[in-house]
Amino acid sequence: MNRMISRLSEQQNLWPWLLLLPLSAYLLVFFAVPLADVVQMSVTEPTLGLQNYEKVLTGSLYRKVFLNTFMTAGIVTLCCLFVGYPLAYLMAHTSRRNAMLILLLITMSFWTSFLVRTYAWMVLLGNNGPVIWLIQSMGFEEKPHLLFTRFSSTLAMVHILAPYMIMNIYSVMQKIDKSLILSAESMGARGASLFRHIYLPLTAPGIANGSVLVFVICLGFYVTPVLLGSPREQMAAGLIGHQIEEFLAFGLGSAMAIVLLGVTLVILGIYHRRFGLDKLWG
Amino acid sequence: MTDPRFKSGLILPNRRRFLQGSAALAAGALAMPYVARADDKVLYINSWGGPWLEAAKANLFDPFTAETGIEIRTVSPVSFAKLAAQVKTGVYEFDVTTLGGGDIVRANEAGIIEDLEAPYEGGLFQNGVASHAFATVMAWRTDTIKGTPKSWADFWDVERFPGGRSLQRYAARVLPIALLADGVAMEDLYPLDIERAFAKLDEIKDHIRVWWTAGAQSTQILRDGEIDMIGIWHGRYFEAEDAGAPVAMTWNQAEIDRAYWVVAKDTPNMEAAKLFVEFATSAKPLAGFASQAKYGALNPAANEFVPDSAKSRMPTSPANYPLAFEQDMSNWGGDPHEVSARFDEWLAS
Repeated sequence: MNRMISRLSEQQNLWPWLLLLPLSAYLLVFFAVPLADVVQMSVTEPTLGLQNYEKVLTGSLYRKVFLNTFMTAGIVTLCCLFVGYPLAYLMAHTSRRNAMLILLLITMSFWTSFLVRTYAWMVLLGNNGPVIWLIQSMGFEEKPHLLFTRFSSTLAMVHILAPYMIMNIYSVMQKIDKSLILSAESMGARGASLFRHIYLPLTAPGIANGSVLVFVICLGFYVTPVLLGSPREQMAAGLIGHQIEEFLAFGLGSAMAIVLLGVTLVILGIYHRRFGLDKLWG
Repeated sequence: MTDPRFKSGLILPNRRRFLQGSAALAAGALAMPYVARADDKVLYINSWGGPWLEAAKANLFDPFTAETGIEIRTVSPVSFAKLAAQVKTGVYEFDVTTLGGGDIVRANEAGIIEDLEAPYEGGLFQNGVASHAFATVMAWRTDTIKGTPKSWADFWDVERFPGGRSLQRYAARVLPIALLADGVAMEDLYPLDIERAFAKLDEIKDHIRVWWTAGAQSTQILRDGEIDMIGIWHGRYFEAEDAGAPVAMTWNQAEIDRAYWVVAKDTPNMEAAKLFVEFATSAKPLAGFASQAKYGALNPAANEFVPDSAKSRMPTSPANYPLAFEQDMSNWGGDPHEVSARFDEWLAS
C-alpha cells in the first residue's frame, strides 16, 4: 500500500515536467539550436579559430560601438529612472481611479508597435514637425536639428522602455507598509530625510529590477538607433546587422552577438548574486 | 464537479491527446514552409518595393503569370545576406532577385547564384542577366536651396548652398562622387584614387545628416525636408517630385549602375526562375517595365518599344546619358570589400 502511494506521488511529480515539454521543445528548436549554430559560426566562419573574437575585442570600430552601446543603455536607464520614479510615486499615492488612468495611458503606448512609435518620433521631431514649430514660434530663429542625433534616439528609447521601469517601481511602492512611513515621521523624520532614509531604500528593489530590465533590453536595440540616431553613434545590434548584410560576415557578426550576450549574462549574474533573478518577476 | 470525466484517471488520456495534438500542430507548422515551397506554381521574387514594384508587377509579374500560369509572390526587403544565407541553409525565401554591379561580382565569386546563359546578345555579366540602368543623381529642395547647384562640387560647397546633406551608406557609390567633387573628370575616375576620395569625404562629413540605407527612406527625407541636398536614385527622386514636393535634380554627373537578374543557387524552383529571368529581360516586358519606372532598358531590342515620352526621365536617354558616367566595377581601383570596411570605420570615427 505504501509503495503504491509513493509510486502514485512520483507519477504526479512527473506531471509538471511533462507539461513543460512543449515549451522546452519549442525553446530547444527555436532558441538553443539556433544559438548553438551562432556559436559554431563564430568560431568556424570563414576559418576555424578564434580570429573573429580577436577582431571584435581588439578592432577599434567594434570597441567603439560596444562602448557606445553600454553608454547609451546606461543613459537610457538613468533617464527612464528619472522619468519613471516620480510617475510611479504619483500612481502609488493618488486615488485608485487616477492610478488606473495613468496606468492605462502608459500601457496604451506600451501596446503600440515598436516601429510605429519610432516613426511617430520621426514625424514629431522632423524639420516640419510640431516640436520644431513650437521652438520657432517661441522666437528662436535657427532651426535646431533634433532628428538623427543622439538626442532623438535616446528620447525614443526612453519612451519605449520607460513602462518597464514604471511598472517595476510601482509594484514595489504599492506594497510599502504605510505604517513604516508613519513611524518614521513620529520619530521626527521629515521631507528629504524621510525620503532618503526610509522611502528610497524601501523602493530600491523596484529600482534595481526596472534598471536591469531596461538596461538589458536596451543593449539589444536595433531599429530605433538605426532609424533615429546619428551614424556616428551606432549600437551593437545595428553593426551586427550591417556586418552580415554588407559583408556577409556571418562569423564576425556571430562573434559580436556572442560577446554581447556574454556581457549581458555577466550583468544578469551580478544582479542575481545581489538581488536574485526571481525577483525580476515580482 | 459531478462530471465523471474529472474523476479517476480519465482526464489523463485527454491531456495526453491534447499534447499529441499540439505536437502534431507544431510539426505541421514547422513543415509548412516546405509544403508551400513544394508548390512549383509559385515563384518568389525579392522586391525593392515602391515604384520598382509597381512597374514590375504590371509589366513583368502579371504578364508572366498570365502566360505561364506560375504565380508570383514578392518578398521584401532586398537582402544580399539573405541570398547568401539561403544557399547555406537550404531554406529558400526567394528564388529570384536583382543585384547591382558591385554586388554581382561578389555574389558570383561567393557561388551563391546559379549559372545562367545569355538570353540576348551581350546580356550576361557574372551570371546575371542585364535588366536596366538606374542612376544616383544630385537633387535638392528648391524652398531652402537658393540658386541651382550644377555638380557634386556644389554639393560639397556648404558656403554657397548651406543646408543638411544626405548620401547613401554605400562606399562603392559614394567614393566616385567624392572624387568628382574634388575636380576629377568623369572619364578619369577609374581606377579610383581611394585616399583622395576619403580626404574629400572628410570635408563633407559634418554636413551629412543622414546616410540613407533604404530607397523609401531617401524619398521620405527629401520629401519631408529633413535634408536639403541628397544623392538619390533617380526613380526615388521622381517619386518625391510626383508627390508634389518642392524639389529639383540634375542629370549632370549622374552615376549609372546596372541591375542584373540572378537566380539563387540550387533553388528548388530553378526552372520557373530561369524562365522568369528570360521573360523579364525580353524586349516587350522589359520595355514596359523600364517605361513605367523610368529605368534604362539594357536589352537593345526593348528600346523600340519604349515611347519617347518616357525617355526624358531615363538615365540612358540620348539627352541624359552623355551627362552621366557608368560605374566601372572591373576597374574599380581597390578591393570594394576592404574599402567598405574602411568606410564603416570612417563613418563611426
